Amino acid sequence: MEKCQFCGRPATVHMTQVVNNKTTVIRMCNECAAKHGLFDKEGLPFAMLSGLGEALFSGMKQNLSASGLICSKCGCTPMSFKETGRLGCPHCYKDLKLLIDGIIESSQKGTIHKGKYSREGTMAATTPPNDSFTDTSTKRHPRKLSTEEKLNELQGMLDAAVKAEQYEEAARLRDEIKTLKGSKGVS
Amino acid sequence: MNDFAKKLFQDSKLVKETIPVVVSSRIRLARNLADFKFVKYACKGDLHAVAERCEKVLASCPIFTNSTILNMGDLLDHEKLALVERHLCSQEFIMEANESKLFFTDDHLTSIMINEEDHLRMQVFRPDLNFKTMFDKINAIDDHVSENLNIAFDNRYGFLTACPTNVGTGMRASVMLHLPALVITKQIGNLILAVQKLGFVVRGLFGEGSEAQGNFFQISNQQTLGFAEVDILSRLTQIIRSIIDYELNAREIVKKEKIIWLYDNIGRALGILRGCYCLTPTDAINCISLMMLAVDLGYLPNMLRGDLQQVMMKIQSSHIQVLENKVLNTSERDIKRAELLREFFSTVPNLKFD
Repeated sequence: MEKCQFCGRPATVHMTQVVNNKTTVIRMCNECAAKHGLFDKEGLPFAMLSGLGEALFSGMKQNLSASGLICSKCGCTPMSFKETGRLGCPHCYKDLKLLIDGIIESSQKGTIHKGKYSREGTMAATTPPNDSFTDTSTKRHPRKLSTEEKLNELQGMLDAAVKAEQYEEAARLRDEIKTLKGSKGVS
Repeated sequence: MNDFAKKLFQDSKLVKETIPVVVSSRIRLARNLADFKFVKYACKGDLHAVAERCEKVLASCPIFTNSTILNMGDLLDHEKLALVERHLCSQEFIMEANESKLFFTDDHLTSIMINEEDHLRMQVFRPDLNFKTMFDKINAIDDHVSENLNIAFDNRYGFLTACPTNVGTGMRASVMLHLPALVITKQIGNLILAVQKLGFVVRGLFGEGSEAQGNFFQISNQQTLGFAEVDILSRLTQIIRSIIDYELNAREIVKKEKIIWLYDNIGRALGILRGCYCLTPTDAINCISLMMLAVDLGYLPNMLRGDLQQVMMKIQSSHIQVLENKVLNTSERDIKRAELLREFFSTVPNLKFD
Protein backbone atom coordinates (compact mmCIF):
# COMPACT_ATOMS: atom_id res chain seq x y z
CA MET A 1 0.00 0.00 0.00
CA GLU A 2 1.15 3.53 -0.76
CA LYS A 3 2.36 5.54 2.19
CA CYS A 4 1.41 9.05 3.26
CA GLN A 5 4.07 11.44 2.00
CA PHE A 6 3.93 13.41 5.23
CA CYS A 7 3.92 10.82 7.98
CA GLY A 8 4.49 7.44 6.33
CA ARG A 9 1.21 5.88 7.49
CA PRO A 10 -0.91 4.08 4.86
CA ALA A 11 -2.26 6.62 2.39
CA THR A 12 -5.99 6.82 1.88
CA VAL A 13 -6.17 10.07 -0.06
CA HIS A 14 -4.60 10.30 -3.50
CA MET A 15 -4.77 13.73 -4.97
CA THR A 16 -3.85 14.32 -8.61
CA GLN A 17 -3.38 17.95 -9.57
CA VAL A 18 -2.85 19.32 -13.04
CA VAL A 19 -1.38 22.82 -13.09
CA ASN A 20 0.04 24.21 -16.35
CA ASN A 21 -0.05 20.71 -17.83
CA LYS A 22 2.13 19.42 -14.99
CA THR A 23 0.61 16.56 -13.06
CA THR A 24 1.48 16.04 -9.43
CA VAL A 25 0.24 13.16 -7.31
CA ILE A 26 0.10 13.68 -3.57
CA ARG A 27 -0.65 10.77 -1.25
CA MET A 28 -1.81 11.30 2.30
CA CYS A 29 -3.42 9.58 5.21
CA ASN A 30 -6.77 10.91 6.48
CA GLU A 31 -5.21 12.83 9.33
CA CYS A 32 -2.61 14.62 7.24
CA ALA A 33 -5.22 15.40 4.62
CA ALA A 34 -7.35 16.99 7.31
CA LYS A 35 -4.34 18.88 8.64
CA HIS A 36 -3.82 20.32 5.21
CA GLY A 37 -7.45 21.29 4.93
CA LEU A 38 -8.36 18.73 2.32
CA PHE A 39 -11.23 17.21 4.32
CA ASP A 40 -13.94 18.64 6.49
CA LYS A 41 -15.06 16.94 9.67
CA GLU A 42 -17.51 14.66 7.88
CA GLY A 43 -14.69 13.34 5.78
CA LEU A 44 -15.86 14.97 2.57
CA PRO A 45 -13.11 16.42 0.45
CA PHE A 46 -13.34 20.20 0.34
CA ALA A 47 -12.06 20.15 -3.18
CA MET A 48 -15.16 18.33 -4.33
CA LEU A 49 -17.45 20.58 -2.36
CA SER A 50 -16.00 23.82 -3.54
CA GLY A 51 -14.41 22.72 -6.81
CA LEU A 52 -11.44 24.93 -6.06
CA GLY A 53 -8.66 22.60 -7.04
CA GLU A 54 -6.22 25.38 -7.76
CA ALA A 55 -6.77 27.17 -4.51
CA LEU A 56 -5.96 23.89 -2.80
CA PHE A 57 -2.81 23.50 -4.80
CA SER A 58 -1.50 26.87 -3.71
CA GLY A 59 -2.42 25.85 -0.18
CA MET A 60 -0.33 22.70 -0.60
CA LYS A 61 2.60 24.69 -1.87
CA GLN A 62 2.61 26.89 1.18
CA ASN A 63 2.26 23.84 3.31
CA LEU A 64 5.42 22.41 1.79
CA SER A 65 7.34 25.05 3.72
CA ALA A 66 5.09 25.05 6.74
CA SER A 67 4.14 21.38 6.73
CA GLY A 68 6.83 20.43 9.18
CA LEU A 69 8.62 18.50 6.42
CA ILE A 70 12.03 17.93 7.94
CA CYS A 71 14.84 15.42 7.57
CA SER A 72 15.00 13.34 10.73
CA LYS A 73 18.75 12.82 10.35
CA CYS A 74 20.10 16.31 9.60
CA GLY A 75 17.23 18.73 10.11
CA CYS A 76 17.21 19.98 6.53
CA THR A 77 13.83 21.51 5.55
CA PRO A 78 12.38 22.76 2.26
CA MET A 79 13.22 26.26 3.50
CA SER A 80 16.89 25.50 4.09
CA PHE A 81 17.08 23.81 0.69
CA LYS A 82 15.62 26.94 -0.85
CA GLU A 83 18.29 29.03 0.84
CA THR A 84 21.35 26.90 0.06
CA GLY A 85 20.27 24.96 -3.01
CA ARG A 86 21.72 21.86 -1.35
CA LEU A 87 20.28 18.98 0.62
CA GLY A 88 21.66 18.11 4.03
CA CYS A 89 22.39 14.39 3.89
CA PRO A 90 21.56 11.19 1.98
CA HIS A 91 18.57 10.61 4.28
CA CYS A 92 16.91 13.80 2.94
CA TYR A 93 15.97 11.75 -0.13
CA LYS A 94 13.62 9.77 2.14
CA ASP A 95 12.30 12.40 4.50
CA LEU A 96 11.97 15.22 1.97
CA LYS A 97 10.68 12.98 -0.81
CA LEU A 98 7.82 15.32 -1.66
CA LEU A 99 10.22 18.20 -2.20
CA ILE A 100 12.77 16.10 -4.07
CA ASP A 101 10.29 14.52 -6.45
CA GLY A 102 9.12 18.00 -7.39
CA ILE A 103 12.68 19.16 -8.12
CA ILE A 104 13.47 16.01 -10.04
CA GLU A 105 10.34 16.39 -12.10
CA SER A 106 11.30 19.89 -13.15
CA SER A 107 15.02 19.33 -13.65
CA GLN A 108 15.37 15.74 -14.86
CA LYS A 109 13.74 13.82 -17.68
CA GLY A 110 13.70 10.46 -15.93
CA THR A 111 12.51 9.59 -12.45
CA ILE A 112 14.27 6.25 -11.96
CA HIS A 113 17.96 5.49 -11.93
CA LYS A 114 19.00 3.39 -14.90
CA GLY A 115 22.76 3.68 -14.63
CA LYS A 116 25.43 1.94 -12.63
CA TYR A 117 24.45 0.17 -9.45
CA SER A 118 26.63 0.64 -6.42
CA ARG A 119 28.36 -2.39 -4.93
CA GLU A 120 26.09 -4.73 -6.86
CA GLY A 121 28.64 -5.66 -9.48
CA THR A 122 26.16 -4.92 -12.25
CA MET A 123 28.66 -2.67 -13.97
CA ALA A 124 29.73 -5.30 -16.47
CA ALA A 125 26.25 -5.21 -17.89
CA THR A 126 26.18 -1.44 -18.28
CA THR A 127 29.63 -1.25 -19.82
CA PRO A 128 29.09 -0.77 -23.52
CA PRO A 129 30.55 -3.02 -26.17
CA ASN A 130 33.80 -1.60 -27.51
CA ASP A 131 32.41 0.26 -30.46
CA SER A 132 29.16 1.66 -29.18
CA PHE A 133 30.55 5.18 -28.72
CA THR A 134 31.90 5.31 -32.23
CA ASP A 135 29.27 3.40 -34.15
CA THR A 136 25.95 5.04 -33.50
CA SER A 137 24.01 2.19 -35.07
CA THR A 138 25.30 -0.35 -32.56
CA LYS A 139 22.60 -1.61 -30.27
CA ARG A 140 23.44 -2.02 -26.64
CA HIS A 141 22.93 -5.42 -25.13
CA PRO A 142 19.89 -5.17 -22.90
CA ARG A 143 20.84 -5.28 -19.27
CA LYS A 144 19.46 -8.07 -17.11
CA LEU A 145 17.59 -6.48 -14.25
CA SER A 146 17.50 -7.88 -10.77
CA THR A 147 14.01 -8.42 -9.33
CA GLU A 148 14.43 -5.37 -7.18
CA GLU A 149 15.47 -3.19 -10.11
CA LYS A 150 12.59 -4.56 -12.16
CA LEU A 151 10.17 -3.77 -9.34
CA ASN A 152 11.52 -0.24 -9.14
CA GLU A 153 11.14 0.24 -12.84
CA LEU A 154 7.59 -1.13 -12.83
CA GLN A 155 6.70 1.07 -9.87
CA GLY A 156 7.97 4.08 -11.81
CA MET A 157 5.98 3.08 -14.86
CA LEU A 158 2.93 2.60 -12.67
CA ASP A 159 3.35 6.08 -11.17
CA ALA A 160 3.70 7.53 -14.64
CA ALA A 161 0.61 5.68 -15.88
CA VAL A 162 -1.43 6.92 -12.93
CA LYS A 163 -0.20 10.44 -13.56
CA ALA A 164 -1.18 10.21 -17.19
CA GLU A 165 -4.52 8.75 -16.06
CA GLN A 166 -3.96 5.61 -18.14
CA TYR A 167 -5.77 3.37 -15.71
CA GLU A 168 -5.87 0.23 -17.84
CA GLU A 169 -2.10 0.32 -18.19
CA ALA A 170 -1.79 1.10 -14.49
CA ALA A 171 -3.92 -1.92 -13.58
CA ARG A 172 -1.81 -4.16 -15.80
CA LEU A 173 1.38 -2.85 -14.18
CA ARG A 174 -0.07 -3.25 -10.70
CA ASP A 175 -0.83 -6.92 -11.44
CA GLU A 176 2.64 -7.43 -12.85
CA ILE A 177 4.18 -5.95 -9.70
CA LYS A 178 1.97 -8.23 -7.58
CA THR A 179 3.06 -11.31 -9.51
CA LEU A 180 6.71 -10.33 -9.30
CA LYS A 181 6.50 -9.62 -5.60
CA GLY A 182 4.74 -12.97 -5.12
CA SER A 183 7.48 -14.84 -6.94
CA LYS A 184 10.09 -13.04 -4.86
CA GLY A 185 8.25 -13.92 -1.67
CA VAL A 186 7.69 -10.29 -0.67
CA SER A 187 4.35 -9.39 0.80
CA MET B 1 60.25 27.54 -9.76
CA ASN B 2 58.82 26.31 -6.46
CA ASP B 3 57.40 22.81 -5.98
CA PHE B 4 53.85 23.88 -6.63
CA ALA B 5 54.81 25.55 -9.91
CA LYS B 6 56.69 22.43 -10.99
CA LYS B 7 53.64 20.27 -10.34
CA LEU B 8 51.46 22.72 -12.18
CA PHE B 9 53.69 23.23 -15.19
CA GLN B 10 54.72 19.61 -15.64
CA ASP B 11 53.84 18.57 -19.16
CA SER B 12 50.15 18.02 -19.28
CA LYS B 13 49.19 15.21 -21.64
CA LEU B 14 46.01 17.15 -22.20
CA VAL B 15 47.69 19.40 -24.73
CA LYS B 16 49.39 16.63 -26.67
CA GLU B 17 47.86 14.57 -29.47
CA THR B 18 45.21 17.21 -30.04
CA ILE B 19 42.75 17.21 -32.93
CA PRO B 20 40.95 20.08 -34.70
CA VAL B 21 37.77 21.51 -33.13
CA VAL B 22 37.85 19.29 -30.02
CA VAL B 23 39.99 20.91 -27.31
CA SER B 24 39.37 18.40 -24.53
CA SER B 25 36.72 16.17 -23.01
CA ARG B 26 35.89 15.31 -19.43
CA ILE B 27 33.75 12.91 -17.39
CA ARG B 28 32.93 13.75 -13.80
CA LEU B 29 31.27 11.52 -11.21
CA ALA B 30 29.76 12.85 -7.97
CA ARG B 31 29.72 10.52 -4.96
CA ASN B 32 28.95 10.90 -1.26
CA LEU B 33 29.68 8.86 1.85
CA ALA B 34 26.44 7.42 3.21
CA ASP B 35 27.27 8.00 6.88
CA PHE B 36 28.00 11.73 6.74
CA LYS B 37 26.05 14.90 6.08
CA PHE B 38 26.64 16.51 2.71
CA VAL B 39 29.50 19.04 2.64
CA LYS B 40 27.40 22.18 3.00
CA TYR B 41 25.77 20.91 6.21
CA ALA B 42 28.67 18.95 7.69
CA CYS B 43 30.69 20.21 10.65
CA LYS B 44 34.45 20.66 10.44
CA GLY B 45 35.08 17.40 12.27
CA ASP B 46 32.91 15.46 9.83
CA LEU B 47 34.61 17.03 6.84
CA HIS B 48 37.97 16.14 8.31
CA ALA B 49 36.86 12.52 8.80
CA VAL B 50 35.49 12.37 5.24
CA ALA B 51 38.76 13.76 3.84
CA GLU B 52 40.83 11.27 5.84
CA ARG B 53 38.78 8.26 4.75
CA CYS B 54 38.71 9.30 1.11
CA GLU B 55 42.42 10.10 1.04
CA LYS B 56 43.30 6.70 2.46
CA VAL B 57 41.19 4.86 -0.11
CA LEU B 58 42.36 6.95 -3.06
CA ALA B 59 46.01 6.64 -2.10
CA SER B 60 45.66 2.86 -2.47
CA CYS B 61 44.18 3.19 -5.95
CA PRO B 62 46.81 2.14 -8.55
CA ILE B 63 46.02 5.08 -10.83
CA PHE B 64 47.30 7.52 -8.21
CA THR B 65 50.75 5.94 -7.88
CA ASN B 66 52.33 8.98 -9.54
CA SER B 67 50.26 11.82 -8.26
CA THR B 68 50.04 14.92 -6.11
CA ILE B 69 47.85 15.45 -3.06
CA LEU B 70 47.19 19.04 -2.05
CA ASN B 71 45.56 20.39 1.10
CA MET B 72 43.66 23.28 -0.38
CA GLY B 73 43.87 25.23 2.86
CA ASP B 74 47.67 25.42 2.52
CA LEU B 75 47.63 27.16 -0.87
CA LEU B 76 47.76 30.84 -1.78
CA ASP B 77 44.82 32.35 -3.64
CA HIS B 78 46.55 32.54 -7.02
CA GLU B 79 47.79 28.96 -6.62
CA LYS B 80 44.23 27.76 -6.08
CA LEU B 81 43.01 29.81 -9.04
CA ALA B 82 45.74 28.35 -11.25
CA LEU B 83 44.36 24.88 -10.51
CA VAL B 84 40.95 26.12 -11.67
CA GLU B 85 42.54 27.56 -14.82
CA ARG B 86 43.98 24.08 -15.47
CA HIS B 87 40.48 22.60 -14.96
CA LEU B 88 41.91 20.35 -12.24
CA CYS B 89 39.31 21.67 -9.81
CA SER B 90 36.24 23.88 -9.84
CA GLN B 91 35.72 27.48 -8.77
CA GLU B 92 33.30 26.32 -6.07
CA PHE B 93 35.94 23.96 -4.69
CA ILE B 94 38.40 26.74 -3.85
CA MET B 95 35.86 29.03 -2.17
CA GLU B 96 35.74 27.17 1.15
CA ALA B 97 38.89 25.17 1.10
CA ASN B 98 39.40 24.36 4.77
CA GLU B 99 39.04 20.59 4.77
CA SER B 100 39.33 20.13 1.02
CA LYS B 101 41.93 18.01 -0.68
CA LEU B 102 42.83 17.65 -4.32
CA PHE B 103 44.36 14.58 -5.94
CA PHE B 104 45.75 14.80 -9.45
CA THR B 105 47.95 12.51 -11.49
CA ASP B 106 51.24 13.68 -12.99
CA ASP B 107 49.79 13.60 -16.50
CA HIS B 108 46.94 15.91 -15.35
CA LEU B 109 44.41 13.49 -16.88
CA THR B 110 42.76 12.45 -13.61
CA SER B 111 41.78 14.60 -10.65
CA ILE B 112 39.65 14.10 -7.56
CA MET B 113 38.19 16.83 -5.40
CA ILE B 114 37.42 15.82 -1.83
CA ASN B 115 34.77 17.95 -0.09
CA GLU B 116 33.57 20.02 -2.99
CA GLU B 117 29.77 20.26 -3.18
CA ASP B 118 29.78 16.47 -2.84
CA HIS B 119 32.27 14.46 -0.78
CA LEU B 120 33.90 13.14 -3.93
CA ARG B 121 34.05 14.69 -7.36
CA MET B 122 36.14 12.46 -9.61
CA GLN B 123 37.18 13.63 -13.06
CA VAL B 124 39.05 12.22 -16.04
CA PHE B 125 40.15 14.22 -19.07
CA ARG B 126 41.32 13.53 -22.59
CA PRO B 127 42.59 15.76 -25.40
CA ASP B 128 40.19 14.16 -27.90
CA LEU B 129 36.76 12.61 -28.15
CA ASN B 130 36.96 9.11 -26.68
CA PHE B 131 34.40 8.61 -23.97
CA LYS B 132 34.75 4.84 -24.02
CA THR B 133 38.35 4.98 -22.76
CA MET B 134 37.55 7.71 -20.29
CA PHE B 135 34.53 5.92 -18.92
CA ASP B 136 36.46 2.69 -18.38
CA LYS B 137 39.08 4.66 -16.49
CA ILE B 138 36.73 6.57 -14.21
CA ASN B 139 34.60 3.49 -13.70
CA ALA B 140 37.62 1.59 -12.41
CA ILE B 141 38.32 4.38 -9.92
CA ASP B 142 34.67 4.42 -8.91
CA ASP B 143 34.67 0.63 -8.39
CA HIS B 144 37.72 0.96 -6.17
CA VAL B 145 36.04 3.75 -4.20
CA SER B 146 32.73 1.96 -3.75
CA GLU B 147 34.44 -1.27 -2.68
CA ASN B 148 36.24 0.57 0.09
CA LEU B 149 33.77 3.25 1.17
CA ASN B 150 30.10 3.18 2.04
CA ILE B 151 28.70 5.27 -0.82
CA ALA B 152 25.22 6.83 -0.59
CA PHE B 153 23.04 4.97 -3.07
CA ASP B 154 19.33 4.37 -3.47
CA ASN B 155 17.82 1.82 -5.83
CA ARG B 156 15.34 4.31 -7.17
CA TYR B 157 17.29 7.58 -7.17
CA GLY B 158 20.73 6.11 -7.86
CA PHE B 159 23.78 7.88 -6.42
CA LEU B 160 22.61 10.48 -3.92
CA THR B 161 24.07 13.95 -4.35
CA ALA B 162 23.85 17.23 -2.46
CA CYS B 163 21.89 18.76 -5.31
CA PRO B 164 19.10 16.70 -6.91
CA THR B 165 20.19 17.98 -10.33
CA ASN B 166 23.14 15.56 -10.14
CA VAL B 167 21.31 12.56 -8.67
CA GLY B 168 21.20 9.21 -10.49
CA THR B 169 24.39 8.58 -12.38
CA GLY B 170 26.05 11.59 -10.71
CA MET B 171 27.75 11.93 -14.05
CA ARG B 172 28.49 15.07 -16.00
CA ALA B 173 30.27 14.61 -19.32
CA SER B 174 31.52 17.61 -21.23
CA VAL B 175 33.47 18.47 -24.34
CA MET B 176 35.31 21.73 -24.95
CA LEU B 177 34.97 22.78 -28.57
CA HIS B 178 36.71 25.46 -30.62
CA LEU B 179 34.07 26.84 -33.00
CA PRO B 180 35.42 29.99 -34.67
CA ALA B 181 33.70 29.49 -38.03
CA LEU B 182 30.27 29.01 -36.46
CA VAL B 183 30.84 32.29 -34.61
CA ILE B 184 32.06 34.10 -37.74
CA THR B 185 29.09 32.87 -39.81
CA LYS B 186 26.74 33.76 -36.91
CA GLN B 187 25.31 30.22 -36.72
CA ILE B 188 26.37 29.69 -33.13
CA GLY B 189 23.19 31.14 -31.59
CA ASN B 190 20.96 28.67 -33.42
CA LEU B 191 23.30 25.83 -32.59
CA ILE B 192 23.19 26.64 -28.87
CA LEU B 193 19.39 26.66 -28.96
CA ALA B 194 19.30 23.33 -30.81
CA VAL B 195 21.70 21.71 -28.35
CA GLN B 196 19.66 22.97 -25.40
CA LYS B 197 16.50 21.51 -26.90
CA LEU B 198 18.20 18.11 -26.91
CA GLY B 199 18.73 18.37 -23.14
CA PHE B 200 22.37 19.43 -23.23
CA VAL B 201 23.95 22.64 -21.96
CA VAL B 202 26.37 25.07 -23.63
CA ARG B 203 28.74 27.02 -21.42
CA GLY B 204 31.94 29.07 -21.66
CA LEU B 205 35.56 28.17 -21.02
CA PHE B 206 35.22 27.60 -17.28
CA GLY B 207 31.88 25.83 -17.10
CA GLU B 208 29.01 27.03 -14.98
CA GLY B 209 28.48 30.79 -15.02
CA SER B 210 31.34 31.56 -17.38
CA GLU B 211 31.04 33.36 -20.69
CA ALA B 212 32.32 32.12 -24.02
CA GLN B 213 35.77 33.50 -24.81
CA GLY B 214 37.90 32.99 -27.86
CA ASN B 215 35.24 30.88 -29.59
CA PHE B 216 35.52 28.12 -26.98
CA PHE B 217 32.32 26.39 -25.90
CA GLN B 218 31.71 23.60 -23.42
CA ILE B 219 28.84 21.19 -24.14
CA SER B 220 27.61 18.92 -21.36
CA ASN B 221 24.66 16.75 -20.36
CA GLN B 222 21.92 18.35 -18.28
CA GLN B 223 20.07 15.26 -17.11
CA THR B 224 21.65 12.69 -14.82
CA LEU B 225 18.64 10.56 -13.84
CA GLY B 226 16.72 8.07 -15.95
CA PHE B 227 19.49 7.28 -18.43
CA ALA B 228 22.38 4.84 -18.25
CA GLU B 229 25.87 6.36 -18.39
CA VAL B 230 26.51 4.74 -21.75
CA ASP B 231 23.35 6.25 -23.23
CA ILE B 232 24.23 9.75 -22.07
CA LEU B 233 27.76 9.39 -23.43
CA SER B 234 26.77 8.03 -26.82
CA ARG B 235 24.14 10.76 -27.26
CA LEU B 236 26.67 13.41 -26.36
CA THR B 237 29.17 11.85 -28.78
CA GLN B 238 26.58 11.95 -31.57
CA ILE B 239 25.80 15.61 -30.88
CA ILE B 240 29.49 16.54 -30.75
CA ARG B 241 30.15 14.72 -34.02
CA SER B 242 27.46 16.68 -35.78
CA ILE B 243 28.69 19.98 -34.30
CA ILE B 244 32.18 19.15 -35.60
CA ASP B 245 30.69 18.61 -39.06
CA TYR B 246 28.82 21.94 -38.88
CA GLU B 247 32.00 23.72 -37.84
CA LEU B 248 34.06 22.14 -40.63
CA ASN B 249 31.37 23.07 -43.19
CA ALA B 250 31.27 26.62 -41.86
CA ARG B 251 35.06 26.82 -42.28
CA GLU B 252 34.65 25.92 -45.95
CA ILE B 253 32.01 28.65 -46.32
CA VAL B 254 34.28 31.22 -44.64
CA LYS B 255 37.15 30.21 -46.94
CA LYS B 256 34.91 30.65 -49.96
CA GLU B 257 33.06 33.81 -49.03
CA LYS B 258 35.28 35.73 -46.60
CA ILE B 259 38.80 34.74 -47.52
CA ILE B 260 40.28 38.28 -47.41
CA TRP B 261 38.59 38.92 -44.07
CA LEU B 262 40.04 35.63 -42.80
CA TYR B 263 43.61 36.35 -43.98
CA ASP B 264 43.38 39.86 -42.56
CA ASN B 265 42.19 38.73 -39.13
CA ILE B 266 44.65 35.85 -38.82
CA GLY B 267 47.52 38.04 -40.08
CA ARG B 268 46.71 40.86 -37.66
CA ALA B 269 46.35 38.45 -34.73
CA LEU B 270 49.84 37.04 -35.36
CA GLY B 271 51.11 40.60 -35.61
CA ILE B 272 49.64 41.43 -32.21
CA LEU B 273 51.04 38.26 -30.61
CA ARG B 274 54.53 38.99 -31.96
CA GLY B 275 54.55 42.68 -31.17
CA CYS B 276 52.43 43.23 -28.05
CA TYR B 277 53.77 44.74 -24.81
CA CYS B 278 50.57 44.70 -22.78
CA LEU B 279 47.70 42.29 -23.54
CA THR B 280 44.50 41.45 -21.64
CA PRO B 281 43.50 37.77 -21.19
CA THR B 282 40.49 38.15 -23.50
CA ASP B 283 42.52 39.73 -26.32
CA ALA B 284 45.19 37.06 -25.91
CA ILE B 285 42.69 34.19 -26.06
CA ASN B 286 40.94 35.68 -29.09
CA CYS B 287 44.27 36.01 -30.95
CA ILE B 288 45.35 32.47 -30.01
CA SER B 289 41.95 31.17 -31.17
CA LEU B 290 42.72 32.59 -34.63
CA MET B 291 46.16 30.93 -34.56
CA MET B 292 44.50 27.59 -33.80
CA LEU B 293 42.20 28.14 -36.76
CA ALA B 294 45.27 28.95 -38.89
CA VAL B 295 46.82 25.59 -37.88
CA ASP B 296 43.60 23.72 -38.71
CA LEU B 297 43.40 25.42 -42.12
CA GLY B 298 47.03 24.58 -42.90
CA TYR B 299 48.39 28.16 -42.71
CA LEU B 300 50.67 27.14 -39.82
CA PRO B 301 52.40 23.76 -39.18
CA ASN B 302 50.19 21.07 -37.62
CA MET B 303 52.69 20.39 -34.83
CA LEU B 304 51.92 23.82 -33.35
CA ARG B 305 48.41 22.85 -32.24
CA GLY B 306 49.47 21.34 -28.90
CA ASP B 307 51.96 24.16 -28.25
CA LEU B 308 49.22 26.75 -28.77
CA GLN B 309 47.03 25.07 -26.16
CA GLN B 310 50.00 24.94 -23.80
CA VAL B 311 50.65 28.67 -24.30
CA MET B 312 46.98 29.48 -23.81
CA MET B 313 47.17 27.67 -20.46
CA LYS B 314 50.36 29.43 -19.37
CA ILE B 315 49.30 33.00 -20.04
CA GLN B 316 46.26 32.88 -17.76
CA SER B 317 46.38 35.36 -14.90
CA SER B 318 47.05 32.96 -12.03
CA HIS B 319 49.50 30.84 -14.01
CA ILE B 320 51.58 33.98 -14.59
CA GLN B 321 51.61 34.68 -10.85
CA VAL B 322 52.59 31.11 -10.03
CA LEU B 323 55.39 31.34 -12.59
CA GLU B 324 56.61 34.64 -11.10
CA ASN B 325 55.95 33.28 -7.59
CA LYS B 326 54.28 36.51 -6.44
CA VAL B 327 51.01 38.42 -6.56
CA LEU B 328 50.81 40.78 -9.56
CA ASN B 329 48.22 43.46 -10.34
CA THR B 330 46.27 43.49 -13.60
CA SER B 331 48.64 45.64 -15.63
CA GLU B 332 51.73 43.81 -14.34
CA ARG B 333 50.09 40.58 -15.50
CA ASP B 334 49.19 42.05 -18.90
CA ILE B 335 52.83 43.10 -19.40
CA LYS B 336 54.18 39.69 -18.38
CA ARG B 337 51.59 37.97 -20.58
CA ALA B 338 52.70 40.02 -23.58
CA GLU B 339 56.33 39.11 -22.85
CA LEU B 340 55.55 35.38 -22.80
CA LEU B 341 53.56 35.65 -26.02
CA ARG B 342 56.21 37.69 -27.88
CA GLU B 343 58.79 35.12 -26.87
CA PHE B 344 56.72 32.17 -28.08
CA PHE B 345 55.41 33.69 -31.31
CA SER B 346 58.84 34.93 -32.41
CA THR B 347 59.65 31.23 -32.94
CA VAL B 348 56.46 30.56 -34.91
CA PRO B 349 57.02 30.45 -38.70
CA ASN B 350 55.30 32.92 -41.04
CA LEU B 351 51.79 32.21 -42.26
CA LYS B 352 51.47 30.27 -45.51
CA PHE B 353 48.17 31.28 -47.07
CA ASP B 354 46.79 29.20 -49.95
